[in-house]
Amino acid sequence: MYQYTEFDRHFVRARAAQFRDQLRRHLDGELPDEEFRALRLQNGWYVQRHAPMLRVAVPYGELSSRQLHQLARIAREFDRDYGHFTTRQNLQYNWIPLARAADVMDLLADVDMHGIQTSGNCIRNITSDALAGIAPDEAVDPRPYCEILRQWSTLHPEFAFLPRKFKIAITGAGEDRAAIGWHDIGLQLLKNDAGEIGFKVLVGGGMGRTPVIGSVIGEFVPWQQILVFIEAIVRVYNRLGRRDNLYKARIKILVKAEGQRFVDAVDAEFRHILEHDVGGAAHLIPQSELDRVSASFRLPAGIDPSRQAATPRPAADTPPAYRRWLERNVQAHKLPAYRAVTLSLKRAGQAPGDATGDQMDRAAELATRFSQGELRVTHDQNLLLPWVHESQLHALWLAAREAGFATPNIGLLTDMIACPGGDFCALANARSIPVAAAITERFDDLDRLYDIGDIDLHISGCINSCGHHHSGHIGILGVDKDGAEWYQITLAGSDGSTLSGAATPGKVVGPSFAADEVPEVIEALIDAYRRERLSGERFIDTSRRLGVAPFRAAADAVRRATAYTAGAAA
Amino acid sequence: MRFIDARHDRWHRVDGEDGPIPHPDPQPDRLLTLEQWHAVRDTWPRGLATAVLLPNTLDVDTLAADLRGAQPRLSLLVLQFPKWTDGRAYSQAHLLRTRHRFDGELRAVGDVLVDMLPLLKRTGFDAVQLRRDQSVEAAVRALGFFAGHYQGDVQQPKPAFARDLSAEVQAADSGAGLFAGQGI
Repeated sequence: MYQYTEFDRHFVRARAAQFRDQLRRHLDGELPDEEFRALRLQNGWYVQRHAPMLRVAVPYGELSSRQLHQLARIAREFDRDYGHFTTRQNLQYNWIPLARAADVMDLLADVDMHGIQTSGNCIRNITSDALAGIAPDEAVDPRPYCEILRQWSTLHPEFAFLPRKFKIAITGAGEDRAAIGWHDIGLQLLKNDAGEIGFKVLVGGGMGRTPVIGSVIGEFVPWQQILVFIEAIVRVYNRLGRRDNLYKARIKILVKAEGQRFVDAVDAEFRHILEHDVGGAAHLIPQSELDRVSASFRLPAGIDPSRQAATPRPAADTPPAYRRWLERNVQAHKLPAYRAVTLSLKRAGQAPGDATGDQMDRAAELATRFSQGELRVTHDQNLLLPWVHESQLHALWLAAREAGFATPNIGLLTDMIACPGGDFCALANARSIPVAAAITERFDDLDRLYDIGDIDLHISGCINSCGHHHSGHIGILGVDKDGAEWYQITLAGSDGSTLSGAATPGKVVGPSFAADEVPEVIEALIDAYRRERLSGERFIDTSRRLGVAPFRAAADAVRRATAYTAGAAA
Repeated sequence: MRFIDARHDRWHRVDGEDGPIPHPDPQPDRLLTLEQWHAVRDTWPRGLATAVLLPNTLDVDTLAADLRGAQPRLSLLVLQFPKWTDGRAYSQAHLLRTRHRFDGELRAVGDVLVDMLPLLKRTGFDAVQLRRDQSVEAAVRALGFFAGHYQGDVQQPKPAFARDLSAEVQAADSGAGLFAGQGI
């Protein structure tokens, strides 16, 4: 993990002090709501349905045990004893009173954490592959570049008030596990034939009302130039992006509207910075800085890369539950004797991605005992232990089971992505959590889940798409019609992973459904797949081969409500 | 950072009853709209100190010829924040300083709030006309939280990785008031 320097520590403390000053002025009536809003947003503070929501940055998903213990403490002492891990690898609290906000920021700063740019119309916290640095298919470890980009984008004075939010994702692996095509900027690290490292750069992806997959703007930008190249993109966007219409303000709209002119403008800007600007070339990354940052990402001290795999095949009398856990929750590692183990945060009785203070403590203890004190927050809203030795798997399974993290459902239907939805979020049109709960309940049989196999189910409570419904094999989107909750279902979307294929938004399966119809509709879609699948086909394969029609017929067969007349336009 | 009191400002708009006069006479200390400047630019005496108010949609490259040389034709550029959350003028300021090497005064006007000060300073503004209800004292305090920043800016073109940070950390360590920097 990245190790904070004294400078970094001063920086987050200064930020906490600055926020305390702003909060005091707000509470004293000097800083009205509307003006405080943009300031608190850039520190992760929303005001939600019940209370402010705090989104804590977990840079590219990396957490230490010490940090997670502190997050648990904050949950216990300031919130109602839980937090929610998000698709963007962050953590959200829902119940902290605003008057105590500055105290929480101080506690975060104590463990090198903050809420900087987890919200607002700025460059957001950067996301990456949850297997960064440990994936067998990785060409380049993205974490040092993530950190360098994190630092560059942190409180960038020119780009704090962009037309709209701006999200960057980075991967260094063969498989895209960071959904880079869905980001404002998606970066893929590559190593060319000469052994040089560079970035393939995508621009203009995004979800929301107009789902767009990013297009390539740089085939191979040398790593030294990446800050300058991104500066060029963001400056063109800051100058030319639309500010007259919230729904047309993302960079994807500018890229679509301008096409090649956008590419040319970025290229020209890039050259100008390097050739003319005072300080322009100063942002070329020197080898010394890459080396300095990379030093934080060397193997943890307790890891011995020379250890050979001894993996004994699980004995015939291995408990089936353990075997299932090995199959679903344990992944290969670039070091043969090690494994990446997912702690499932998807289980009956709790919202997807939620963890209590006690569960956070337990997860932190597991990380200390089994994973060199390190965890990752995954895009799928689970926790992952990146440094587990194979000889420890059984002991870990027992401990994880006791702590409630061993549900062997990773990648299966109940390992769904869901936003907090209308229960918490002031933006939502509909609730997500009851829908997720109803589906989890309906599909509680593991044999059935295994028979259904790999599938991405994504639920968003509104078109802002925090639950990434566009990229789900099955997507569920909450929509509001005359004050009632309805749900639009989409089929065959992809985040860009190997299983899911090239990133693409799902296709709508007819008019929206009533809330109480949704679990049955999902079941009908699943049953249609099981009827129609060819040998070895997964849900995404069958749905892509057959198209929407047979699934739509199956879904329509279980319609009860009058969705057709209520608003067939959905 | 200079705080401009509009009542005692050296620069004066040239307005008639129907708004800006299309062809103002050359006089010292005139603050022209961009349209006025375009209208008079070819006949305007060189060496007459002049200010121009720029819309935040302007591509500042189009002003390049008026900014060059030892004695540029424009001595004050006024950049606008129609809403404080509209960040276009930060890019204009950055480009005017780093690309066009504009050395005169860069002033922020409009919906200018105290919490913008760190950004304004770092992108090259050296004067602000705060919105009427804002406190100069709070604005000065807003400038004092950070000892240094990660990325370079107009004040400090070097990013953190190209600087000796130990001096900055020491300055911050040695007590309040030495957070000499910027930030938002």
